[in-house]
Amino acid sequence: MTDDRTTLAMLSEQLADAVATAGAALVAVHARPRLPSTGVHWKDGVVVTTEGTIRREDDIEVTLPDGRHIPATLAGRDRGTDLAVLRIASGSLPVATLGDPATLRPGHLVLALARLDEGGPRAAFGAVSATGGKWRCWKGGEIDRWLQSDLEIYPGFGGGPLVDAAGRIHGVNSGGLSRALATTIPVSTVNRVMAQLLERGYVARGWIGAAMQPVQLDPTSRQRLKRDGGLLLLSVEPDAPASRAGLLIGDVIVAIDGHSLDGFDQLLDLLGGDVVGKTLRLELVRAGQPVSVDVVIAERPRRAR
Amino acid sequence: MTTMSATFLSDPAERLRASVVGIANGRRGRRAAGGAAIAWSGDLFVTSAHVVTTSHATIVTPDGRAVPGEVVRRDAERDIAVVRAAGTGVPAAVAGDPYALRSGSLVFAVGHPFGVRDAVSVGVLQAVSPLPRGYGLNENGSFVWLQADVRLAPGNSGGPVGDAQGRVIGVAAMVVSGMALAVPMPDVERFLSGLT
Repeated sequence: MTDDRTTLAMLSEQLADAVATAGAALVAVHARPRLPSTGVHWKDGVVVTTEGTIRREDDIEVTLPDGRHIPATLAGRDRGTDLAVLRIASGSLPVATLGDPATLRPGHLVLALARLDEGGPRAAFGAVSATGGKWRCWKGGEIDRWLQSDLEIYPGFGGGPLVDAAGRIHGVNSGGLSRALATTIPVSTVNRVMAQLLERGYVARGWIGAAMQPVQLDPTSRQRLKRDGGLLLLSVEPDAPASRAGLLIGDVIVAIDGHSLDGFDQLLDLLGGDVVGKTLRLELVRAGQPVSVDVVIAERPRRAR
Repeated sequence: MTTMSATFLSDPAERLRASVVGIANGRRGRRAAGGAAIAWSGDLFVTSAHVVTTSHATIVTPDGRAVPGEVVRRDAERDIAVVRAAGTGVPAAVAGDPYALRSGSLVFAVGHPFGVRDAVSVGVLQAVSPLPRGYGLNENGSFVWLQADVRLAPGNSGGPVGDAQGRVIGVAAMVVSGMALAVPMPDVERFLSGLT
């Protein structure tokens, strides 16, 4: 049993090393009452955390590993992917060592880390439960990889990293997106959203300016167009791409740029991409007749907070 | 690639389990074991104060004997108590030092969650400190707690939290915001002073 005992002690030491390594790049973010959240020093002077833990946009402070409190400014937030980016003084602490989430497989040992106060980093321990391709989360944003783990996201662990046994950071854990299992926003999504937030303070998404509802087509249209359903326009906002293109309440959009639409997912995928300013061809059923209309996609107006 | 035996986690867990007994309030006997206790030297058993609320307690040994015991010291605020029961034959636990461990170190808990005898759960140490700001437990929050990411349930109270060597580093007390809290070993040893 001596070998086993040594192996176990070594595993314990390795996990503690991983916590120390990754923990050196973590801050506590004070942007809500009472309970801080965790932030990852993703690149020099830039801290990433979860959007849901930012309750105030001014007077934000972070606690560094050495216990010092320094001011931080909000560079931007994206509710869709639950990410927020803060700027802090350059050279304040080590920068995170990032891993490649594609190398994680179910069963790999992982840690969720947090920094909540002047004490050391905190850890929760578990295994990767499920991995997969890109998905759209219920907040609306596109996440590049499905990455869920058997980890407890304790209060304040939101915004903290998912760390492998070597101390590499594979993404940011979201309390808001986690249910029975912990959900991690992977490195590539963080990089993509962070770049936009640093550049313009928000993530630009395409916008048509109409409210819609999925419907089944009438039998005649179904037969003629060889399509089952579409999106029925319930309202059209004034001075929006839909109204400028002459879309009317009651129109049913059955395809955009040749792609069938029978639910919101395809539309959201399309509008989430790089489409602002582009012209898309909409195929409609209007009063039983097929009609084509070109719409110039605008940028979704930012919600007033 | 390191190959580990399938039983490698069981060694420290076995060491911990050897010193864990069931404990019941009063003289009610073995069927009512409500929590766990840790065998100490000199016929002493350490448990949580909320497990033993009267002056008498019954120790239930691993081989199923009910041994009457007496509560000799109890601190409700710190949630720790000591019971003396002679002739149990249960080996004393080995004390470890939680302050020697870093965050992320493996920890084990042994207890009787929901009545399952000597169940083992595994996790990692979070901190040995007062609770972070924003966590509940107002009146006891200023105490130093061993805080761990390890599953505790009713029936774990009074049982050990151990390190990767199977040494006792804390006495399981409660769960706050999902986090396991235990009384750190140095505080337990201070509480025992003069009795052993």
